Amino acid sequence: MSMNSIRNLSRRGFLNMSAAAGSSLLLPQGILSSALAAGPLPAVAEEEAVIGFGHVGPITDEGWTWSHHQGLLAVKEAFPKLKTTLEVENVPYSADATRTYRQFVSEGANMIFDTSSTGDFLHQVVKRAPEVAFMECNGHALMDNLGWYYLAHWYPTYVMGVAAGHLSKTGQLGYVASFPVASVYASTNAFLMGARTVNPDATLQTIVINSWFDPQAATQAGTALIDNGCDFLFGIMDEAGYLQVAEKRGVWAAMWNTDIRRYGPNAYVSSVIIDFKDFYVDQVGKRLAGTWTPGEHILPMGGGVDRDKWGQNVPEEVGKAADEVREKILGGWSPFVGELKDKDGKVRVEAGQKMTELELYNWDWSVDGVSGLES
Amino acid sequence: MDLLTGLLTTAFLAGAVLALAALGEVLTERVGVVNLGVEGLMAMGAVTGIATVTVVPSPMLGFLAALVVGALFGMVFALATVYVRANQVLCGLALTLMGSGLASTIGRNYSGMPSPVIFEPVKVPVLSEIPVLGPAFFSQNILFYLIYLILPIFFSYLMFSTRHGLNMRAVGENPAAADAAGIPVNLMRFSYVTIGAALAAGAGAYLTLAFVPSWSDGVVAGRGWIAVALVIFAGYRPIMATLSGLLFGLITALGFVGQARGWPIAPAFLSMLPYLGTVAFIIVPVLAWQKMRRAMAAPAALAVPYYRDMR
Repeated sequence: MSMNSIRNLSRRGFLNMSAAAGSSLLLPQGILSSALAAGPLPAVAEEEAVIGFGHVGPITDEGWTWSHHQGLLAVKEAFPKLKTTLEVENVPYSADATRTYRQFVSEGANMIFDTSSTGDFLHQVVKRAPEVAFMECNGHALMDNLGWYYLAHWYPTYVMGVAAGHLSKTGQLGYVASFPVASVYASTNAFLMGARTVNPDATLQTIVINSWFDPQAATQAGTALIDNGCDFLFGIMDEAGYLQVAEKRGVWAAMWNTDIRRYGPNAYVSSVIIDFKDFYVDQVGKRLAGTWTPGEHILPMGGGVDRDKWGQNVPEEVGKAADEVREKILGGWSPFVGELKDKDGKVRVEAGQKMTELELYNWDWSVDGVSGLES
Repeated sequence: MDLLTGLLTTAFLAGAVLALAALGEVLTERVGVVNLGVEGLMAMGAVTGIATVTVVPSPMLGFLAALVVGALFGMVFALATVYVRANQVLCGLALTLMGSGLASTIGRNYSGMPSPVIFEPVKVPVLSEIPVLGPAFFSQNILFYLIYLILPIFFSYLMFSTRHGLNMRAVGENPAAADAAGIPVNLMRFSYVTIGAALAAGAGAYLTLAFVPSWSDGVVAGRGWIAVALVIFAGYRPIMATLSGLLFGLITALGFVGQARGWPIAPAFLSMLPYLGTVAFIIVPVLAWQKMRRAMAAPAALAVPYYRDMR
């Protein structure tokens, strides 16, 4: 285990700086879904199986937690005879998380999903319950009974960036960021790289609001960005705050998690749509059948993450141009190929070199043109 | 829009929530009751506001409904703290927990739904043409003028220029003396706690009907606690409470504008501004205005239940 730098911290678990363990860095780069040497856990009869979900927010958030809750519903539908499912909302990033997951174990859970990485708080439980399978969303550690999963959100984000390049008149893009963590670096970089294929002078200004969910702060951040000349807003929030600002001020906005176009039908461009249903059903199925092994899963575009249907005001040719890029990516092409320079002009990815999925997952520097994350 | 206008617009918008909630808390504390339930009241007001406008599409009605719900909760709180004389801190915390929990339960049906109607901005003729201040202040919704002009001036006049206001302050300073002078202490406390609670709920409704504008669990996000803190900084004065709400909004806005402009200051530091501001708010007045110490002091009987037979 090696301690990662602050920027490699998990998506949700930014606050505890000591908690990130970067075992994935020790694995051969680019190999995903790799299993450890330990054998799979024994099979469980469906009638006796208990599946637990711990969420970071409320399932009514219409965003991140809602999507994971849909996954739980899909599991229930696929395995109607499950003895019981456990679900706890608003699991904090603290020792309370440990208590929550320990409670799951004592209630007989066979498989537990931590839908928003709680790092060491979860790992303490993982080590003490070797017969229980754990999956940590946006985790970084791999153990005999712990795997992690996330989404290749940088591809649909790149596609939306292409659309933003077409739609933005000023070339100034705004970004409402939560914390300077890897998913935010990947998101901002991919977005600007997409936009720069159309408008090479485009820039991206970020505002960090230190929360995944704070409609008030997101509203103010969106207002400040627009006041400063941005005419396209993007962000990584679990709510629609800045979309409503964009609607009011007549600029474009792209979102995360779910289709929330009704908050701002005129401003809405698209969204990074997430869908964990198939993944959860697959994982639970494997656990019941006794074939589950801990792995690292980054769900690809088209298999858990995608762009949403284009907004009503997005011109057809813009959608088409962006979708051509999407098709290319689906066909195996990667936009994340060197030469890539950071904002100081230092070459970070050599010419011709392709970034691996794990490098994208652990992205911790801003490409040239993205400002506000590093100071 | 230029820098200053943008800064002021954001500041006014964000400050209004705090200004209204802090004003309500000023009234409450002036009669000697600490209401720590502001956070819960705001949550209830926020959800009441949006629940009402989904049935009747009138933002004013939504706001009024929030005031009524806030008043009802305030009466329960006042009953417990003024007449039963239960511990005010504990009752306040209970109110926060109950209000937030109840609001999130009721709000389940409304979360993820934009408010069907909101308070539309009203451009004040002539005044909205003033550079900088015009677009920032005189082109806002009607609640805005209520929060920044009408209510603080009204309550300030009431509190400092009328006999009723003198009585009200006497109840907070020395209820026994007030009682001896024939002022109905408990009734006075009950009334202003109720009004203060109504205003706090109104601040919540401002969130969902004008500022954000939609309900989501956790939309209040701790502003209720900040409002309670602002009251101390404001020296328990209505106009000062409004201004300190605005100042707090300004400091918050400064953080966002600084990031948007790419000022060479660490974003972490800019996000820290509101909290550094709070610390400064508390320390600076104490150090700088030693002579005003008495004027800025808390009502002497704050948080002390009044027993007539223990005079």
